[in-house]
Amino acid sequence: MSYVLGLKCRECGRLYPKDVIFVCEYCFGSVEVDYDYDAIRKTFTKAALATRPKSLWRYRELLPIDGEPRVGHASGFTPFFKAEALGKVLGVRELYIKDDSVSHPTLSFKDRVVSVALTKAMEFGFDTVACASTGNLANSVSALGARAGLRRFIFIPADLEAGKVVSSLIYKPTVVAVEGTYDEVNRLCAEIGAKYNWAFVNINIRPYYAEGSKTYGYEIAEQLGWRAPQHIVIPAAGGSLITKIAKSLKELKMLGFISDAGTRLYAAQATGCAPIVTTIKERADIVRPVKPNTIAKSLAIGNPADGYYATKAVLESGGAAESASDDEIVEAMQLLAQTEGIFTETAGGVTVAAARKLIEQGVIPRDESIVLAITGNGLKTQEPLMNRLGAPTRIKPTLSSFEQQLQETLAACQPRSA
Amino acid sequence: MAKKQVTLIFPQHLIKEPVIYMMSKECDILPNIRRARVTETSGEVTLELEGSEEKLKQAVAFLEKKGVKVEPVGGDVVS
Ligand SMILES: Cc1ncc(COP(=O)(O)O)c(C=O)c1O
Ligand SMILES: [Zn+2]
Repeated sequence: MSYVLGLKCRECGRLYPKDVIFVCEYCFGSVEVDYDYDAIRKTFTKAALATRPKSLWRYRELLPIDGEPRVGHASGFTPFFKAEALGKVLGVRELYIKDDSVSHPTLSFKDRVVSVALTKAMEFGFDTVACASTGNLANSVSALGARAGLRRFIFIPADLEAGKVVSSLIYKPTVVAVEGTYDEVNRLCAEIGAKYNWAFVNINIRPYYAEGSKTYGYEIAEQLGWRAPQHIVIPAAGGSLITKIAKSLKELKMLGFISDAGTRLYAAQATGCAPIVTTIKERADIVRPVKPNTIAKSLAIGNPADGYYATKAVLESGGAAESASDDEIVEAMQLLAQTEGIFTETAGGVTVAAARKLIEQGVIPRDESIVLAITGNGLKTQEPLMNRLGAPTRIKPTLSSFEQQLQETLAACQPRSA
Repeated sequence: MAKKQVTLIFPQHLIKEPVIYMMSKECDILPNIRRARVTETSGEVTLELEGSEEKLKQAVAFLEKKGVKVEPVGGDVVS
């Protein structure tokens, strides 16, 4: 059963059938999935949802597939909880974390978009999937594609973090590391995507793929007891996640699942690559491309495909944007680990650091509900932490050596709960 | 003849110059504009360029030399 009417140009509104189409042939604008919400209303109810498995596929009617899901049966429905300790440090009353750093199977929110993209690719009859990625997307296409038995081509920039490269290679796709500037990698991948008849998840399957990000927003609302928070801070690269979270809340409102909480969305980027943040701060209409230079490589997209829509989503919500320097990102990664016990990647550091600034500036009020979008895992981006966390204390295997070396620590150490 | 779809991003000082016309004349290219967004500080024009492979390369080089950013339609694909 499908609830998809077709595709619709986001610029001129022209309608297309649900095919492998990603730009409007008239205005070259990007296209988006168009749903039959009246049909969805009939089966998509809170009562029906209560009986469904806890995965992203519980929102099946609002995802662009025709048949049964093929992969990602254990993806989604990640932890969501109140972050008391971090809230205390940031000086806010009601802080929550949506934790995709433990997404199944590849530890980032990309498992959501890839579950949808691969299911759709198989429905279209593709036997080969591909992606152009700075890491997380590569890992997810490699893993979920292995599970689905698909041939996989993974294109990455040659200077990626080791953790992200290993986390692709283990699944034995064809990994292509492109030597060149970011722009060159980008242009090459666009050309390859145009020439080969593959499902390039973030190129020709993009309209379907991107819809998977909506599940992050549905889950926030459901896990809050069908309520939207007042503020959500979201890391942005291409700007798709933030745009789709906005769409997810609009859909839930339209379907009567939540009331209008006036949720404000905030975009978080690294100062070394902040085209969306700059556009939002300047209230501009046009996103000016930048050359990325930051440790937050998963967010290093200089000419964001959805930058315009992300800007619009943030400004329409009454939200704002903030960026964080490399040092602030690392400090924020440590803060999140030390307060909430979550080891996030650099992108998560960007979110926490930006949220902290927005709270300190008074942009996000201290007494309202705030959700931080933690979207990736720190085990994959260890490089920026090397030499910054100190080393373990080395001792001889004797009690006296232990007490000698740790005399001061033992005296000073108090658990937080005490 | 080959076709190339691009988005041109103009800095403020070039908005009033007929850059697309000059490129078209100089490089023998047929431009077909599909969409544009122009504000006081910058301009963005999405269009299709048509000409020989050689001329298309010249056209992109001409625009870049002028100070226009030439980006593939749809933005960055690496994510
Ligand atoms: C961990 C992580 N968080 C957030 C994002 C941003 O997503 P989007 O490109 O949809 O803005 C990415 C994108 O690659 C990512 O890897
Ligand atoms: Zn259009």
